[in-house]
Amino acid sequence: MKYWSDIQIKLKDQVYLGKLMLLLMLLAYLFILGENQIFWKIPVISVGLITWLLFRNKTKHPIVWIMVFLLLLIDLFYSYYWVANHHFMLIFMVLSVILYSYHNQQRIFIKNIQILAVIVVLASVVHKVSSSQFINGDFYYHALNLGALFKYFFRFFPDSVELANSNTESLKLLHGTDPNLGESIILKNVFPKLRVISVMLVWLTIIVEFIVAMAILLKPKNKWTHLIFIAMIIGVLCTRLETGFMSLLAISGLILCSNRKLSMLYILIILGCIALIITKIGYH
Amino acid sequence: MLSLQNFHFHHACESFLKMTKTTKEFLLKYGIPSLAIIVVVIQLFLVNTKELSRWKGGGYGMYTEIHYFYNQIYIPGMSVDSLVKDNSEMKFTLGHLMVMPNETNLKKAAELVLKTSKKDSIDVQIWKPIVNSENGIYTRVLAGEIHLNKSGL
Repeated sequence: MKYWSDIQIKLKDQVYLGKLMLLLMLLAYLFILGENQIFWKIPVISVGLITWLLFRNKTKHPIVWIMVFLLLLIDLFYSYYWVANHHFMLIFMVLSVILYSYHNQQRIFIKNIQILAVIVVLASVVHKVSSSQFINGDFYYHALNLGALFKYFFRFFPDSVELANSNTESLKLLHGTDPNLGESIILKNVFPKLRVISVMLVWLTIIVEFIVAMAILLKPKNKWTHLIFIAMIIGVLCTRLETGFMSLLAISGLILCSNRKLSMLYILIILGCIALIITKIGYH
Repeated sequence: MLSLQNFHFHHACESFLKMTKTTKEFLLKYGIPSLAIIVVVIQLFLVNTKELSRWKGGGYGMYTEIHYFYNQIYIPGMSVDSLVKDNSEMKFTLGHLMVMPNETNLKKAAELVLKTSKKDSIDVQIWKPIVNSENGIYTRVLAGEIHLNKSGL
């Protein structure tokens, strides 16, 4: 019982925990991106660490956060069209943390994170609704037939794995030919009624994401908001190991959540994602 | 009379400070989210006008269309794999063409390929995949093409 009460005390400050989780995720993320643009990153890391070592208790400036912010900016500057979408979200979250250390108003920081999470999920809905390839089910149909989604569940259906491999092979052969010849292939359905499944998945995704965005906007502290947000995060992780992005959404959820048990669930998701990022099983 | 003026002055100062405080709080609350919205709007603009892939550019449009990895650069008589091997500039330029297959990037790619090759002229094509979930047909459509002569450089 004492352990649980200790854990509950630790879970009380969700903003502190959120910042800690964000820093852990950032370290894993920046370590993986570390080999790009070393000409700029080495001085930033060196100066940042020396400053942190000598002045960390003598200045009000968040040295470590400023250092990681600069590192993120370097990658953004050189690879604007290559960095992952959650690189942008990371930048905005780190910027919010830096500002928070100056204004010291928790409710403003929480508002920043709340609106950011809404924007990210809502922008995703806008893209889905405005993409003809997504809305008519062609995208999911293509991805499922190549075994690119639900990869870890596919292994329970050996016939489907074989069909997905065969589709991938046909696609490779097609891409080896001159496209001017106008050749095409016919994808074999990995599951029966795949078109119907694809269209159902399309609307399920859009509806769930829209409900999540609205719930975070209107009822950011509500238990049901967090339950559906967690369900969405786990659903995405089952579809594909987007651990980098999902850990950021879970960190946002943790910062907004005041329910101890759900906070614990967020922490488990975040730490699991970080473990998968470090071991390179999940995407960073 | 003077005290009444003082009263008005203090009142005005207080109102100003209150307004400044409200504005400051508004900026702190919505400044960063506004930046995020600007990035999304720019990305959507580039998607709709410059052929940027929905997957990139900070608009959170991943998994909404076939990945740009399936786009195909075709240069008759040349192997794209050989061109990008050990050539970071080529990799960068052709990579840009894959993620944003528009006329500008097609021209940049063609100019670079022509410069590095011994040919007098080249054709560069960019093809995009389409799939029809009703009949399962997967094929490629021409998204852009350019013919460039060395004399035109």
